[in-house]
Amino acid sequence: MSGETARYLASRLVTTVLIVFGAMVLLFALSAIVPGDPAASLLGPQVEPDAARQFIQEMGFDRPVHERLWHFLANVLTGELGTDVVSRRPVAELIASVIPYTIVLTFAAILLAVVTGVPLGVYAATHRGSALDNVLAFVSVAFIAVPSFVVAIFLLLIFSIWLDWLPVLGAGAVGDWADQAKRLILPTVALSLGWVGFIARLVRSSMLEVMGENYIRTARAYGLPQAMITYKYALKNACIPTIAILGLGIGRLLGGAVLVEIVFSRPGLGRLIYDAILVRNYPVVQGAVLVVVVLFVLVNLVVDLSYSAIDPRIRRDVSRAGLPR
Amino acid sequence: MTLSLNRRQLLAGTAAAGLASVLEGRRDAFAQAGPRTTINVRIDRELGVLDPIDRKGPWDGNIIRCVHQRLVKQKPNSAELENDAAAEIKQTSPTVVEFTLKPGQMFTDGFGEMTAEDVKFSFERIVTPPPGKPATYKGDWVNLEQVEVTGKYTGRIVLSAPRANLFDIAIGDVSGCILSKKAVEQRGDAIARQPVGSGPFRVENVEPQRGATLKRNPDYKGPAPRFEQINIRYVSDPRTTELALRSGELDFAILPPSIAESLRSVQGLTITQEPSIAYLWIGMNVEKGPLSDVRVRRAIRLGLDVDQMLVAGYNGKAPRLNTLLPPQIFGHWSDAPVYRRNVAEARKLLQEAGASNPRFKLLVLNQPAQQNMALVAQALLREVGITIDIDAQEGGTYWSAGKGDTGKNLDLFLLRFNGKHDPNFIMQWFLSSQIGNWNWQRWSNPEYDKLFTQSAGELDRDKRRDQVIRAQRLMDESAAYVWLTNESNFIVHRSWLRPTGVPGWIDWQYEGFAST
Repeated sequence: MSGETARYLASRLVTTVLIVFGAMVLLFALSAIVPGDPAASLLGPQVEPDAARQFIQEMGFDRPVHERLWHFLANVLTGELGTDVVSRRPVAELIASVIPYTIVLTFAAILLAVVTGVPLGVYAATHRGSALDNVLAFVSVAFIAVPSFVVAIFLLLIFSIWLDWLPVLGAGAVGDWADQAKRLILPTVALSLGWVGFIARLVRSSMLEVMGENYIRTARAYGLPQAMITYKYALKNACIPTIAILGLGIGRLLGGAVLVEIVFSRPGLGRLIYDAILVRNYPVVQGAVLVVVVLFVLVNLVVDLSYSAIDPRIRRDVSRAGLPR
Repeated sequence: MTLSLNRRQLLAGTAAAGLASVLEGRRDAFAQAGPRTTINVRIDRELGVLDPIDRKGPWDGNIIRCVHQRLVKQKPNSAELENDAAAEIKQTSPTVVEFTLKPGQMFTDGFGEMTAEDVKFSFERIVTPPPGKPATYKGDWVNLEQVEVTGKYTGRIVLSAPRANLFDIAIGDVSGCILSKKAVEQRGDAIARQPVGSGPFRVENVEPQRGATLKRNPDYKGPAPRFEQINIRYVSDPRTTELALRSGELDFAILPPSIAESLRSVQGLTITQEPSIAYLWIGMNVEKGPLSDVRVRRAIRLGLDVDQMLVAGYNGKAPRLNTLLPPQIFGHWSDAPVYRRNVAEARKLLQEAGASNPRFKLLVLNQPAQQNMALVAQALLREVGITIDIDAQEGGTYWSAGKGDTGKNLDLFLLRFNGKHDPNFIMQWFLSSQIGNWNWQRWSNPEYDKLFTQSAGELDRDKRRDQVIRAQRLMDESAAYVWLTNESNFIVHRSWLRPTGVPGWIDWQYEGFAST
């Protein structure tokens, strides 16, 4: 690792810590503002007022926000994310039980979006103005505009009810990979469809821009084959904005696939947070949001590193802007 | 003949073969040859705690009741009680119940035979929970002084005062489940996920966001459940539930009327409509501004058209409720007045009260049925000269809106509570002592409180009925309540499945589920 890269990495790690800290401060502040009594939501209607008070005290919900935040961060440093106030299970255990489903779904969706969106974008750019380009433009915008949960419902109606090919519910039996794969297909398609359109549009516009660059003209002048120019030289540079967007996309999907998780009744981080918010189960919300934020930042770090590896100019720019030489 | 494949054809062929193998046998995954031994049941809330002391709702309670035995339990599809773990049980005085356990009832996981010590431990821990556990269900065992162990299988439940609903609410319900003392002490908090009982089923596993698997308990001494395994699946979305019922992945669910109705034409599914004991009403804060005048409250009651509201909220598929207690609950006031909309009378009452064009906020849960009913109420009251602002809130905010001093700010609200087969259980939320907790009307009536106490300890059924009806009259006179409905349950199940539940269908009896 060069000194430049190390400095860049160090600056990003510092930023990561600050972002996580900022996100948690914001979360704790919001939890103090949002109305709703955790005891009422969590203990049920029969709870006696004394028992509710005792519960609030035990859970530390009566303490000032800054104290709760400090306590939470101190625990996080020791690897402790708190206890779920509903099931009394460690929050880390709950997160560990659902996070594999989220990661698999997120990466499957992004992979499908890339595998489909990039070739479509390249085709549209290299056949600019053709009938298919126009059709792709229309379809891509339609894909972007339709919310994923609507797509999810249509997919279920078509493939589960009408054609009877794929199951509706859940993530499959534990340890049964074939069952899990089957139940991953529709959620993956539902989540990725919008991204397919988005990536296709992005790649198309980036490709058109790159194809007008001098080095592409030079390559053509040297008589290089068109496929080599398109895929080896143009696409590599045209992909940089796409990679940046993918980082954001992965980060968003890690905690934001809630609706698709609900429609397919799949376990996942987004649904865990959503369910916990509804009953004001703050330890679970805090622990899960922390994990989402950390994953989000880490994924974007990896993405930043990857495109700075693709284009050394970016590394130099960031290095100059980030740390003094 | 020669077969030549290029790279592209090979890749396409491989992908097609892979997809085909994944899709193959789609039905096989769910279909079972011969009589079904496993069923899939939907619950709409995530499982919380499978320990009676800390359960979070009926979805937990339904599992707890089929994993543990009680001294007495409800007969299938009935609220009537029969002996379960008890060989004999009798009330020997207004404050003493004596019981004798059947010998040889074994707890699962090798925790031995059930004894009277386990009964004592289970009942008393509800009243005096171990440190760190809130006494959430202490009210179920109110008046319990102690359980005396008089022999290995015999004991006496001693009360400090007579109690009419002792069997329905305590002994025969979730708080009356008998746990293994040894198992609870050994497993600690883990007992909430790995319960040890002696009932018809045992819990195979509980998975976050997925549900639980119940397996038949081979050591259960009562009649064996028909199904070997019940998969309890947490599916929050009713539309997904509908699709899963259509596709065959679920065998049983309770659904809102609009969705259940859409399944009527599906072959192999049966929809049964059963009256519920959950009750819904519009409450009014009797301490707030113009609402403190009974004439304004009566004007609102006369300005509303309950039947129209029920059409909007439930497609007209829910029975109208005219008093607190639904018809299937002991003490139901069958002669309760049925208020019909009378705009002229409502306007007159407002005028008399000097409330010209009052404006109120109506708090509702952000759920379609409630929001639709609120919209109708808004339109109806506008004609009377009352402006309603609808305040739709999500669960967390909504359920704490009437608590403590925050509750003083409420005007009108739509509220829905689950009931039990006991009038006092339902009446308790309207006591003066519940102001700031669940009495969001903030209505306080010493006579109501007295009638509640009297009826709770009254063992003479006729006298108790009169007391309960009188209490409902007082509520009616207050005009702080516009009763709407006790709802209907739309039970959707495979036609070959015969589900069982206590009337009202809040309590399901998994052990009684059978095939026809």
